[in-house]
Amino acid sequence: MSNATLKVNGKEYRLSFSPHQTLLHVLREELGLVGAREGCGIGICGSCTVLVDGRTISSCLMLAVQAAGHDITTVEGLADDEKLHRVQRAFIDHFGFQCGYCTPGFILSTVALLANHTNPSAEEIREYLSGNLCRCGSYPNILKAVMSLSDSEV
Amino acid sequence: MAKSVHMLDSIARVTGTVPYTANLKLPQMLYAKVLRSWLPHARIVHIDTSRAEQMPGVVAVLTAADLNQPGGPTTFYGVQHKDQPIVATDRVRYIGEPVAIIAAESTDIAEAALHEIEVEYKELPAVYDEIQAMQPCAPVLHGDYPDNCFRHARLRHGDIEVGFAAADEIIEEMYFSPTANHVTLEPHVTAAQWQDGKLTIWSATQAPSLVQQVIAELFNLEPEAVRVMVAPLGGGYGGKGHIRLEPMVAALAWKVNGRPVKLTLTRAETFVTVNKHAAAIHIKSGVKRDGTLTARQVTIHWNGGAYADVSPGLVGSGMLRSIGPYRIPAVQVDSYGVYTNLPPAAAFRGAMASQGTWAYESHSDSIAHRLGIEPLAFRLQNLLVDGDAFATGETLHDIHFVECLEAVASGIGWNTPLQKNSGVLKRGRGLAVMMKSTIPNSTSQCRLLLDDDGQVTLFTSTVEMGQGAHTALAQIAAEALGVPVATMNVVGPDTAQNLFDTSTNASRSTFMMGNAIINAATLLKQKLIEAAVPLLEHPPEELSVRNGVVCVTEKPELCFSLTDILRRNQLTSVDALGEFQTRVAGLDPETGQGVSTPHWHQGAGACEVEIDTETGKVAILRYWSAAFAGRVVNPELARLQNDGNVIYGIGPALLEEVIFDNGQIANPNLSDYNIPAFPDIPHNLNSVSLEGESGEFHGIGEMTLPPVAPAIANAIFDALGIRIYDLPITAEKVLRALQNE
Amino acid sequence: MRFLQPGTLEEAISTRVDNPEQSVIIAGGTAVVLMLQHGLIAPEVLISLEKIPGLDSIRIEDNRLHIGALAKLGDVADSRLVRQYFPALFAACAAVGNVRVRNQATLGGNLAEADYASDPPAALMMLDALVEVKGISGTRQISLPDLLLGFLTTTLEPDELITGVIIPIPTEQPRMAYLRYNNRSSEDRPCVGIAASATFNDAICTGLRLTVGAACEIPTRLSEIEALAVGSPLTDTRIHEIAEGYAAGIETIDDLQSSAWYRTQMIRVHIQRVLKGLRDG
Repeated sequence: MSNATLKVNGKEYRLSFSPHQTLLHVLREELGLVGAREGCGIGICGSCTVLVDGRTISSCLMLAVQAAGHDITTVEGLADDEKLHRVQRAFIDHFGFQCGYCTPGFILSTVALLANHTNPSAEEIREYLSGNLCRCGSYPNILKAVMSLSDSEV
Repeated sequence: MAKSVHMLDSIARVTGTVPYTANLKLPQMLYAKVLRSWLPHARIVHIDTSRAEQMPGVVAVLTAADLNQPGGPTTFYGVQHKDQPIVATDRVRYIGEPVAIIAAESTDIAEAALHEIEVEYKELPAVYDEIQAMQPCAPVLHGDYPDNCFRHARLRHGDIEVGFAAADEIIEEMYFSPTANHVTLEPHVTAAQWQDGKLTIWSATQAPSLVQQVIAELFNLEPEAVRVMVAPLGGGYGGKGHIRLEPMVAALAWKVNGRPVKLTLTRAETFVTVNKHAAAIHIKSGVKRDGTLTARQVTIHWNGGAYADVSPGLVGSGMLRSIGPYRIPAVQVDSYGVYTNLPPAAAFRGAMASQGTWAYESHSDSIAHRLGIEPLAFRLQNLLVDGDAFATGETLHDIHFVECLEAVASGIGWNTPLQKNSGVLKRGRGLAVMMKSTIPNSTSQCRLLLDDDGQVTLFTSTVEMGQGAHTALAQIAAEALGVPVATMNVVGPDTAQNLFDTSTNASRSTFMMGNAIINAATLLKQKLIEAAVPLLEHPPEELSVRNGVVCVTEKPELCFSLTDILRRNQLTSVDALGEFQTRVAGLDPETGQGVSTPHWHQGAGACEVEIDTETGKVAILRYWSAAFAGRVVNPELARLQNDGNVIYGIGPALLEEVIFDNGQIANPNLSDYNIPAFPDIPHNLNSVSLEGESGEFHGIGEMTLPPVAPAIANAIFDALGIRIYDLPITAEKVLRALQNE
Repeated sequence: MRFLQPGTLEEAISTRVDNPEQSVIIAGGTAVVLMLQHGLIAPEVLISLEKIPGLDSIRIEDNRLHIGALAKLGDVADSRLVRQYFPALFAACAAVGNVRVRNQATLGGNLAEADYASDPPAALMMLDALVEVKGISGTRQISLPDLLLGFLTTTLEPDELITGVIIPIPTEQPRMAYLRYNNRSSEDRPCVGIAASATFNDAICTGLRLTVGAACEIPTRLSEIEALAVGSPLTDTRIHEIAEGYAAGIETIDDLQSSAWYRTQMIRVHIQRVLKGLRDG
């Protein structure tokens, strides 16, 4: 077992887990943060997306021990108390989801996109979010939601 | 009523707190893993689980030896043919078939214990192809079916010989649609607990009532002794539409006796659990030079995999869904459901209609081309309209194929000129239309409860799987009761408190459950009116319920709020049950003549594609879809269904195929099995939901999906003059076809 | 399994030497974690390079670009230096997987994995990059053809680690491109990747470097075919000849994604597209 401190959504957790456990497993099973989900288990679908130091990663492809010492943000860390993050709000306003399983991943990817790029074009949004898969096919609405947050939407 | 209300649990969906079964954690919960066959067809000579059972942390190992014991589950289940064992008995019939299932303190322990089970097999010859499996010398999977055909559905309408004799041209083609996988992002997941002779099951299923019924029968229990609870699903698409993991998890829970046990499939395991039927479709049409159809003969072999599952029924539906919405005086269909040594197949969004439409709508363009008739004109000339008889002999009502097709043709600008040739990149347009029956005999029940806070709760066994059913049903209830949607709560499937519903399948929920709700609301309003009579001092026929009050119809200012009525009657709540059933006459088994469905699902699609003639790669530039919705409840959610169907349909059209190598799936992962991503979908994607005068709800969960593949193939034909017969339409196939020109 | 995070290269190498059979090096982890999760490897020791300082730097030294082995593919793609001098490497790194993979996977890890269906190796080979390797007996620099042996196989000795990649900055800035072709979804692994650079004196091609990746076991560069380009204008006929030379000279892979035949066609098509693009500037 490894002992490590994980900093998740601004809180530090002293944890003990087997070093082969993925960050996804520890977030879900040890911390109960179930917004990150396993879809494909190989880093393709993006359902397990979390932010590590502000950058998106697939938590199914990162060992929890690798994440120690870094700032981890999950979808649970976005809303400020009762107030939704603007990206969450935009996804609701534009009906940017159906079954919702992929939604936290899309939202976190959007947060990362907008952090570095305040006015992405539709093409840039499609390209950046291409690594998040939505099997229900809500892509057009997701595009609208993200476009509504882009400064380029005038 | 049509109003784009946000999904009721929108906040949970964006904050990651939807309580999917995948998230379920119960006190003392054990974790299950399945030992699966690595051979496609074999006798099981011997199983030794002793070492696995002795491993620390292993709580129970279930094999077929545990089945058929007093007080426990029997061995075989199946909705129509009881051919499938909970775990393999003396024989395995596909790679991936469950042989044993282990409950342990952790997934890791269960996984490690799998390696400690010894199974000795004696391999048998296997067959994978649905046509070869019916050849006389093919290996037999189930002794009761020596030709491996578990269902032969027949339709005989008119005189086929006369029909072909009357034709000027006969067009005969063969189309193939391969195995595909649903790829619900939430995998199949089921938990179960056996306590004091009762079972509790938490399952990601679209069919809670069916699970309750099948499991009760398997364990010889009263249905009330089996409680089934279903959280919202992370996608269903038919893959969770019937019995899946429940029997083996319930059996394992019975053996564990007390503690709950949960099985979550890996992505690879979902590929050996259920797939879309592969189909080989032979279609032959007779047509007059003026474009009039005279006869059609369709022969389909459906690859059902190793167990019949729901295929016997679907093979019959597939018979109806492979003819096409056209007036044809003579029709003959032979629809064969065939056992093979592959994983079982079942409904896949647009069930059986996708395969059928792929064939008959590609074929429509082949006919039009042969006759030199414009493809839209050929369709419009032959499309069924209200009052026509279908090939089953049933008279059609509420028929809108023409409007659907015209809507998409107009959307895409069918009659505007298209610059087809610009060097390497060539463009073309195509369209397609489809008809799909729904479940003939089904039942939906619900309960509406008004409490003295003015909150209305809908208890429904309809499963919320992303389609927004709970929201649309709440809107229907709110309208029927005359209360704001904001007062509505929905309690989803829990057989301990909710009533029966056939299943959340076949786009039936808005129609069936919607009508059950309207019936419940009518009763509830009657109860409220009766309770208001002494207060308003008017007879019931002079009272009505509207805007949250019961009032005197002629003097609306004389009213009591619903909560006041409850309080003044010293009631904490009042409720009403509602039911809606469809019963149709059914079809004659020899001729397929009769009445097949309460109404028809109708949809169309049109697209413009661009093909890179050096690589064969197809880009869909624009796509328009139309579905006949009857009456739209929530326009935004309806649009998500229509667009989502098209996007889902692009997968099997261009990308998706489960590839087998001697029965072994070669691509059971999302790296080798591609599904559509953001850049793969048309930038210009539009849809329309058509409404009808009757105001009857029509489901729209699938209608725009089946036209996708043939519309694309027809556009490719328009651009290049090449016809692709087998899905998916890969770049490589297109390039080969171009080079063979 | 133990997870070790040595603070120096020397420590990492000695840990590796102490556990030659039972240890695995982990950089970003996208490949190693996948293999761990699927039971393809079961090491007793994972040696993480993350805590070794300076291994992720991207800098110019002696007119050569040095990219540390631990530089993330996304950082390589975002690097101003890489974009300025080696747009083909930028494009190849930007084409890998998805944003998340590029945020986690490293250039050194990418090379050490030696997966044929990848983009950066072809670009690096085209650029005459040297791979810096450190082992118990010191440091050596090897070319990509000398590093990559075949499917998931390199010539690295058990005690050796990739520490970085060194790319000579050409005196004359060539025109450069990397073209990746996906035959299925946008998220697929590459079907073929073409890295090319060319210099011109007016219309006369004075040098061509051309590497084909993803379509073959290891990226392939055919110098005798490259030489056909030099000394005359890159006419359509000449480009066609070069494309045919590569199509004929490369043994392509047949896998689930596409047949060997199709990959050969795609080499021919995309070499022509890349070279016409370079010629037309």
